[in-house]
Amino acid sequence: MKLQHYLGGLEGLPEDLTLEKRVFVEDWEKRIFGIHVAMMGLSKHLGTALPEYPIDGVSTAFQDEWTWADLRTGAEAMNPFDYFKFRYYEKWLGGITQFFVDKGYVTEEELTAKVGGLTPATGTPEAAIDDQVIAYLRLGDSPRRDVAHPNFPVGSAVRIANPAADAHSRLPGYLRGRTGTVERVFEGDYAYFTHTGDGIGDPMPIYIVEFEPTDIWGPRAEAGPEKLYAELFEAYLTPIEEKS
Amino acid sequence: MTDQFAYPPDREEASAKKVAALEALLIEKGVITPQTVDKVLAYFETEMTPLNGKKIVVKAWTDPAFAEKVVVDTPGAIAEMNLPDGMAGAEGEHLQAVANTSGVHNLVICTLCSCFPWPVLGLPPYWYKDPTFRSRAAREPRKVLAEVGVDLPADTEIKVWDSSGHSRWFVIPERPSGTEGFTDEMLMDLVTTEAMIGVALAGPAS
Repeated sequence: MKLQHYLGGLEGLPEDLTLEKRVFVEDWEKRIFGIHVAMMGLSKHLGTALPEYPIDGVSTAFQDEWTWADLRTGAEAMNPFDYFKFRYYEKWLGGITQFFVDKGYVTEEELTAKVGGLTPATGTPEAAIDDQVIAYLRLGDSPRRDVAHPNFPVGSAVRIANPAADAHSRLPGYLRGRTGTVERVFEGDYAYFTHTGDGIGDPMPIYIVEFEPTDIWGPRAEAGPEKLYAELFEAYLTPIEEKS
Repeated sequence: MTDQFAYPPDREEASAKKVAALEALLIEKGVITPQTVDKVLAYFETEMTPLNGKKIVVKAWTDPAFAEKVVVDTPGAIAEMNLPDGMAGAEGEHLQAVANTSGVHNLVICTLCSCFPWPVLGLPPYWYKDPTFRSRAAREPRKVLAEVGVDLPADTEIKVWDSSGHSRWFVIPERPSGTEGFTDEMLMDLVTTEAMIGVALAGPAS
């Protein structure tokens, strides 16, 4: 199991929250955010996404897929100590740099040399690259693929599955094995960027499942009227047999 | 104990140099252009900002038919407004609004990552991505809300929405009392990103 899958409800973390309202707390964070968005907008999978972007005609050297699934898989794979230690965009910088090294776009030696003597970058201003990135931001990458084929109607009692954890998951760990009620069935079936190994990837229905906090946390639930809602792919739901 | 949690003294400077080196190499190798990152940032600084969400909230406060529609068909309701192109773009493909009422307070979280409705709220503030907030808000939302200044009546129901699927959620906060004569601009000043995620109420900025 991976701690990052079980963050929801984890106890013992610092109390007395203060809200850091800035989006970026250091200027350099903006650059890694921009690089990430560019990778998302140039990802080869966009050729088959909706809309079908003319990605093969864009004159970028980027020839890989890069989606949220890649960034999330990296974050979920981190040493939990490091996950808590490093700030959000520090994690992005580490993960994205490693991706470019692993895929052979840059080498550690090149990075070290650049860090040592940064000169202004010279590149070809290929407008098509920037146009594609902005087009992705405006048009998006919807995972909706089909009309819905739901197996669970609204009101169904369901037990949340407990599949073996793989590299990546969209199932919050605190819901594994818990029971809830289908509150809403979304229109359409929804794919996920990748096959996570724990059941999602191919188009399938998504549900909102309503949980009583006491059914999740037992006596550790807060007093007072509360409900928790999670959006869950159908692969994460199992039926509860009616007692006859 | 080791120095697992010790940071190097040049923590920020080192990261700044590393990201600059990476960006420069990606430009030289033709992955991106010298303008790509700046254009992305400009998009979020000028078009996809919380101003869009504020306009949606104020329309919900002042137009009952819109208020009814925006929680049922959020993309359809938003499409009727004169907002920048791209409200259904990246991280807005499936927007979903939930509305606070006198007896119900909504709170949006993402315990697995940092799902956030970019087109209407811009980029997430740091608190939303904070592991401590994400872990605690799932189990003890009432206590977390009280700590950040939202003291709800004991009989107000709290609905926590964990963004683990395709939707990107945001909250229509309640319109503060005593604002009957306010113009739309005055009303917009009462709406913050925090209120549109549920960790604040609408009201004068504190």
